[in-house]
Amino acid sequence: MKIRSIPLFFLLLLNSCTTLDICDDYSQSELVARFKTIEEGVVNDTIISGVTMFGIRDGRPDSLIYDSVSLSRVVLPLDSHHDYSRFILDINEQTDTLRINHTTEFYMISYTCGFAAMFTIENFHYSKTMIDTIERINSVIDAELEQNEEHLWIYF
Amino acid sequence: MFVQSLAGQDTLRTYGPRIGIDLARFAYIFANPSEIGTEFSVDVEIYKNIFPVFEMGYSYISESEDLFDYASSGAYARAGIDYNLLPVKDRSVHHSLFLGFRYGVSIFNHHAENVLIPNGYWGDFVLDSYENSLTANWLELVGGIKAEIVSNFFLGWSLRYKILLNPEMDPLVTPQMIPGYGSGAADRGFGFSYSILYKIPLFKR
Repeated sequence: MKIRSIPLFFLLLLNSCTTLDICDDYSQSELVARFKTIEEGVVNDTIISGVTMFGIRDGRPDSLIYDSVSLSRVVLPLDSHHDYSRFILDINEQTDTLRINHTTEFYMISYTCGFAAMFTIENFHYSKTMIDTIERINSVIDAELEQNEEHLWIYF
Repeated sequence: MFVQSLAGQDTLRTYGPRIGIDLARFAYIFANPSEIGTEFSVDVEIYKNIFPVFEMGYSYISESEDLFDYASSGAYARAGIDYNLLPVKDRSVHHSLFLGFRYGVSIFNHHAENVLIPNGYWGDFVLDSYENSLTANWLELVGGIKAEIVSNFFLGWSLRYKILLNPEMDPLVTPQMIPGYGSGAADRGFGFSYSILYKIPLFKR
């Protein structure tokens, strides 16, 4: 056996092992809250019209996430700068506030996509102008949002 | 007087610990990401065709990605046994064709710095550092040859199939490089070594 050919073979082997995976998009860790109604003990999905929603930080309103739209659920980005995220839900000029207290961990999605935040909902507080109650479905929010994944149910 | 009946049996066979260095490790510098490290081995024929083996080494990688910097480094050791399949026809010839196994342990540290977590709404978040000290365990099946090119000097190569026993060692960040094993993203892997070895001829018989 020609010993000289072995290092060359090895370099080729090494080269073929190098993977080139591409990150499709930089995933965000977002909370999904579905709108529900409860009538005579029966829970139903519902569509709410005229939904405006935005986050507030340091008492200042941030840019709009939703602007007067009809929705059956909202997808909300959470704030990794704080251990809470606060939102204003405005339905036809009736305003509710929602504060979600969470813990934040960071994990690696992949070497090409980098890191993401993983939030765990500790508890939440809300006003009851339009909202009747809020139920927690799933406490863990990471960047891999499954189809039909929901974290909160907001009853009106 | 002790008389040998078989041809070649009158030739003395040398025994002693054999020390090797893995030359293939130096080619890892050209891999992506570049890996710097060395590996030494010691084996000795304690019984006919049975070679207990001990290997130890060190590895280091460091890379700068778009969204974070990453480094992983640490030491490792493997212990196992090789069995020589080549029948000894001439007692002065020490070539071997072997099969064996290893149990490997690595104690290493990996960390990421300047980690950018994009957030289009609340603003990008920069995580200063993430660090974790880990221990990895794995098994290897090994096959290869060692040829004596000059008296007591050997060249050898081996192919290895590796099975990682604790792939979930860090659920938050998968190690990009486990010293002595390879990428932590796969719980099965292949390895290759190409070594030069010297046998210390302690005694003959």
